[in-house]
Amino acid sequence: MINPLFYPILVPFIFGLMILWLPARWKETTALVASGLNLVICLALFTWLPLSFGCGSWSNQNLLTLDSLSGFILIFQAIFGVLAVVYSPACLAGKKGHTKEYYTYLLWTLAATAGAIFAAHLLLLLVFWNILGILLYLLVNLSPEEAAAASAKKTLIIIGGTDSLFILGLAVIFSLTGTLALGGGHIPLGTGLAYLAFFSLVSAALAKAGAFPFHTWLPEIAGPTAAPVLAFLPASLDKLVGIYFLFRICRDIFVPDFLGQTVLLAIGAATIIFAVMMALVQHNFKKLLAYHAVSQVGYMVLGIGIGTPLGFAGGLFHMLNNAIYKQGLFLVGGNVEKEAGSAEIDDLGGLGRRMRWSFFAFLILSLAISGIPPLNGFYSKWLVYLGLLEMGRSGHSLWVVWIAAAMFGSALTLASFMKLTHAIFLGIPNKALDRKKVREAPPSMVIPAVFLALLCVLFGVLAQQLPLRFFILPAVGSIQPAGLWLPGRAAFLIVVTLVLGVLIFGLGRLKKVRLTPTYIGGEEPDLADHRPTGSAFYETVREMGFISTIYRLAEEKLFDLYELGKEFTLTISAGLRKMHSGILPNYLSWVLVGLVILLWVLAV
Amino acid sequence: MNRLPLFVAVPLFLAFLIPVLGRKWKTLPDILGNLATFFLLLLSLSILGISGVYAVGGWPPPLGIVMVSDGLTTLMLLIVALISFAVTLYSIDYMELYTSKTRYYSLFLLMIAGMNGVIITGDLFNLFVFLEIASIASYALVAFGCQHEELEASFKYLVLGTLASTFILLGIAFMYGTYGTLNLAHLARLISENGSTAATKCALGLFFVGFSLKAALVPFHAWLPDAHPSAPAPISAMLSGLLIKSIGIYALIRLLFNVFGFTPLISHILITLGILSMVVGVFLAIGQWDYKRLLAYHSISQIGYVTLAIGLGTPLGILAGLFHLVNHSVFKSLLFLNAGSVEYNLGTRDMKKMGGLQEKMPVTNATSLVGAFSISGLPPFNGFWSKLLIILACVQAKNIPAAVWAVLVSIITLSSFTKVQRYVYYGKLKEEWKDVKEAPQTMRIAMVMLAVCCVLMGLLILPGPRNAVLTPAVNALLAGREGYFNLTFSR
Repeated sequence: MINPLFYPILVPFIFGLMILWLPARWKETTALVASGLNLVICLALFTWLPLSFGCGSWSNQNLLTLDSLSGFILIFQAIFGVLAVVYSPACLAGKKGHTKEYYTYLLWTLAATAGAIFAAHLLLLLVFWNILGILLYLLVNLSPEEAAAASAKKTLIIIGGTDSLFILGLAVIFSLTGTLALGGGHIPLGTGLAYLAFFSLVSAALAKAGAFPFHTWLPEIAGPTAAPVLAFLPASLDKLVGIYFLFRICRDIFVPDFLGQTVLLAIGAATIIFAVMMALVQHNFKKLLAYHAVSQVGYMVLGIGIGTPLGFAGGLFHMLNNAIYKQGLFLVGGNVEKEAGSAEIDDLGGLGRRMRWSFFAFLILSLAISGIPPLNGFYSKWLVYLGLLEMGRSGHSLWVVWIAAAMFGSALTLASFMKLTHAIFLGIPNKALDRKKVREAPPSMVIPAVFLALLCVLFGVLAQQLPLRFFILPAVGSIQPAGLWLPGRAAFLIVVTLVLGVLIFGLGRLKKVRLTPTYIGGEEPDLADHRPTGSAFYETVREMGFISTIYRLAEEKLFDLYELGKEFTLTISAGLRKMHSGILPNYLSWVLVGLVILLWVLAV
Repeated sequence: MNRLPLFVAVPLFLAFLIPVLGRKWKTLPDILGNLATFFLLLLSLSILGISGVYAVGGWPPPLGIVMVSDGLTTLMLLIVALISFAVTLYSIDYMELYTSKTRYYSLFLLMIAGMNGVIITGDLFNLFVFLEIASIASYALVAFGCQHEELEASFKYLVLGTLASTFILLGIAFMYGTYGTLNLAHLARLISENGSTAATKCALGLFFVGFSLKAALVPFHAWLPDAHPSAPAPISAMLSGLLIKSIGIYALIRLLFNVFGFTPLISHILITLGILSMVVGVFLAIGQWDYKRLLAYHSISQIGYVTLAIGLGTPLGILAGLFHLVNHSVFKSLLFLNAGSVEYNLGTRDMKKMGGLQEKMPVTNATSLVGAFSISGLPPFNGFWSKLLIILACVQAKNIPAAVWAVLVSIITLSSFTKVQRYVYYGKLKEEWKDVKEAPQTMRIAMVMLAVCCVLMGLLILPGPRNAVLTPAVNALLAGREGYFNLTFSR
């Protein structure tokens, strides 16, 4: 009898292998069956909580466990897996990267994710964690676009590189505690070694989740990669796994001290602000969404950095919410790209009438990400704010900075999405865009997005009754939010207000409205030529004195650790290569110098 | 241990038989070469982990020459046999590019005889002779193409290689002059009785430099980046995968651990050389655009890992080092074979001219991915486990700087192999390569075989396989002078 914990790992893995072996035309069906079966298994497992597995010399210690935390992540990764498999066929039909391998990698990603969240042993976690990085690399490389190869390379270097740091951290933990069991010992920070291990592990978690300063791979792959891949991995599963691990690091492995906590909070705040500022000025909506995917991680890091149950709850809930709405946004983005044929904001416009359902989903999702009540994004941000306030009351002085960054970031997110919604779905379309030809995407692409949008509403209005009660609170323990926010009642009031607004607007329209033509310089302008474009929307922000310098430096990639590291490495490499001139006497002299030094060392 | 001499005798005999018979039957060199390596593979599997001594001509040690087999010997014999079997398989099609297969197999088998001889011998001068056989065969094989580039590389290799041999010979002279014996175990006993004299120190220094030159440790590495890329691809795989290890690292650690005795000073020297090689090698590698030269520099870097880990001197360190040594043999040979099959089809090694080959050469691409992930230390491939053990061993030995260096080097290694993948296999297919085909059958089989090994060898980390394969080798080194003496003189 196989331990039930193996099913969510083995089932997708074996089906993935089967897809490689079966004829190509069966790939979608097989993948659908596999992901559906996986979802059923995961739901069943969730009801059997908690489960564990240990074997061999580790029989007294668990290798795999399923607790309430990994349980809810398990369910959602399975749901997201089904959505990705449902969405992909229509989106990728006829494209070059739509191969058997694509579905295999999707399924293997599910298997690796399940493995990573089950792992109760750091070594196992490391293995599954690494495999996730590899699969992302392979998925990005499937894209036929020219830029895919370069961005995949960057992704693997950043993610794989921080995985090496993970190994270092793991080795140090082993030398400190003598065990690699997750939660085997709470290591207090304070010594150099403990800091080394802590920050090594944290950097791995941040790189996977895509937080500053390891975020630069995310916007890079957003351009060439297909929307379902973006929605599935960087936008949702990588976040789930990355933040899950960050939570484990801060709660189950280490006991963060003031320094560790402050660094985390600073990283969170910096991630929110920098990424949202970059998002404001993007011209490609997939890149724009990618920068928001980075920015949102900031809230989760803030929540985890607070280190209280309230903060944890906020961070984890935001992780879940973000996975839902960010995935939805990427999926709608995919619909638009497929139907209108472009991901450049300036090429689009006025699609709202042609793609009603997509527009509807996008509107809700973008309100959710901007933290508009009563949607889910609001509630989790609210919890993070409360956590920060609570922290301020208990004596931390810097809380004002963090909360200001978080709220400012939230406002900028709203600003950014107002622009995006307007530029894609409202406004006057680009002349080159033949709007008549644009149609709503097929149901298999629309339904997942609408489903996610409705989930945003549900998890916002019934936040306390559903997600917090079943998923978040069992994982972090009970919390006492200081402020009073009753989502249900608030939602009711908001709906009433909205209805009233519509009524007033409608009543106002009863009177005859006078429409007059506009004139510029005495002539009637061609509106399509003078339309406000999305890319020009926040040009003024970009051109502000001090900020423009930062933007320039950011565009020169001076804030990109990867680029800096590359520059440094290649400089050293060039210097060393100059020494290897191919002249034999030089090489002989090195040998002699080496001999003399060695003899001297041995003789003394 | 009557099977022990066969490891030298069979390839040596065939090396002379093939040129005689090969003139008549054109397919005979291929058949005999492959049979020989396959036979050695079976033979090495049959003696895995068995210790024993074979006295040549029945003369007991220290009078006669002995062949000694312990855990380390059998491990090295196995890995030599495994790689050379894959390489001979690969050579069947690849060496059609060159003219004389009979000479090729003849030199190839001579090199194997030399390497096996170095591994099994228990006699210092005998070791030198086999070392020279292997080296001279390799000089000729590097120059096999007889083009300008190959000859120049071979000449540099020859000069530095001969210098190394001279140092080693001089060291042997010091030893013989001082102790009057050449038997390794006997020398070990005499050195431990007499303590460290000036002559011993001098010999030790000379051996250090000589074998470091053969192993291409920085700063003695300068010949390697010319020699390894210039050789035909299967030979590059042999040189990088086996030769620098068997006549370099193996001989060095055998002398250090089992003859001279491992001291903290030696540990420091090995760690320093290891870190230096690791770092310098990888920085040189990442800037390269010549596919095989990039791989060659990585050999320096990876040998640095091995040296560092073994230099720690702890059981875990030695285990990690030996594990990495065998892993590196497999994945580096694989990568060279991949580079070879690209060169076979494209006729160039310049990565700037390639691109998009994954559509045309799916098997090469897939196996190259496996090799790249292995060398970069990504799971579930073998390189990951040995890298993990190396870092664990460094931290356990309280050598945090070494661990940090190992991590940094592994990041740069990963970067340079993603570079290879990106410029060679991914991206847009260039117009001029639209008619490129996948490599021929036997080349594909050889690559797939090594790629499968990369996956399976990860299992060596599990207690069962580890105790069967790796632990005896570790124990052989840990046994030190005393253990080696007792083994050789056990009869």
